[in-house]
Amino acid sequence: MLSTIQFSSFSDFIDMGGYAFNVWAVYGLFAIFLVANLWLPLKKRKSIIRNLKRARKGQLQDQ
Amino acid sequence: MWVWFAKLGSPKWFYEISGRWLPWMSGAMVLSIGFATVWALLFLPPDYQQGYTSRILVVHVAVAGTSLAFFPLMAVAGAITLVWKMKLADMVAKNAAPIGAWFSFLTLATGSLWGSVTWGTWWEWSDSRLVSMLFQFFLMIGVISLRSALDDNDQSARACALLAILGCINVVVIKYSVEWWNTLHQPASAVTIGGGDVNGPEFWVVTLLMILGVYLFMGISLILSTRNEILEREKNAVWVQEIANDS
Repeated sequence: MLSTIQFSSFSDFIDMGGYAFNVWAVYGLFAIFLVANLWLPLKKRKSIIRNLKRARKGQLQDQ
Repeated sequence: MWVWFAKLGSPKWFYEISGRWLPWMSGAMVLSIGFATVWALLFLPPDYQQGYTSRILVVHVAVAGTSLAFFPLMAVAGAITLVWKMKLADMVAKNAAPIGAWFSFLTLATGSLWGSVTWGTWWEWSDSRLVSMLFQFFLMIGVISLRSALDDNDQSARACALLAILGCINVVVIKYSVEWWNTLHQPASAVTIGGGDVNGPEFWVVTLLMILGVYLFMGISLILSTRNEILEREKNAVWVQEIANDS
């Protein structure tokens, strides 16, 4: 089932049988897509919580 | 059943239960996508016709297949919003659209990068699969712009539910386009019933693993953005204040 590693050297691996641009572009885009759709909501969460804290502080000072 | 249903509609309940799911889902996602990627890039043997470009299809098939789940999800969530006025369903429908746009775009981009080698063309306007997937991308953009143009109210929920139903019809067209009109895009060949296995088990086992990982990713991303929306909409609730103070 599990076949062996298909490449004999690192440059072979990068070359992807002559299709380096297409294969690596796809996996690069895939990586950007994964990171962006997790990082953006996590970043937004931080700013929401920061704003909540600031608003809370403002309320306490008003009292 | 109805108690459960009413609970599910409560943003607070969803926030708490999803917080407990997230670590498990994240672990399973990292394992399945990580393992599938390493397997695809290092171990997958070259296809006798496509060479190593068959590795593109592991990503393309997983992302494309998952992208078809968005409009049915948005249509169901939209219907629940309209019938039961469930706030949570509306939040899910709203936050699914941007993620669905990313999925549709990546499907088109990875498909082009594969087609440019195997078909010798980046794009083909006469192919129904390609054009219907482009239409899905535009529909997602349409839902996003409707949401930002109209305030969050019944009107915007109704308009988006309507677009989601149109999107569902388009999903059927995408799915069967390769059988109804036989142009450029080939039908699914990874798993065929009756032993006509074109690609062999190495290909579809790694692809199934990638599909599992990408579905988990879709769920995690949607949960994260829905939780953000809950915090924003319920910012005056005591339990949200406590979360802000504790973190």
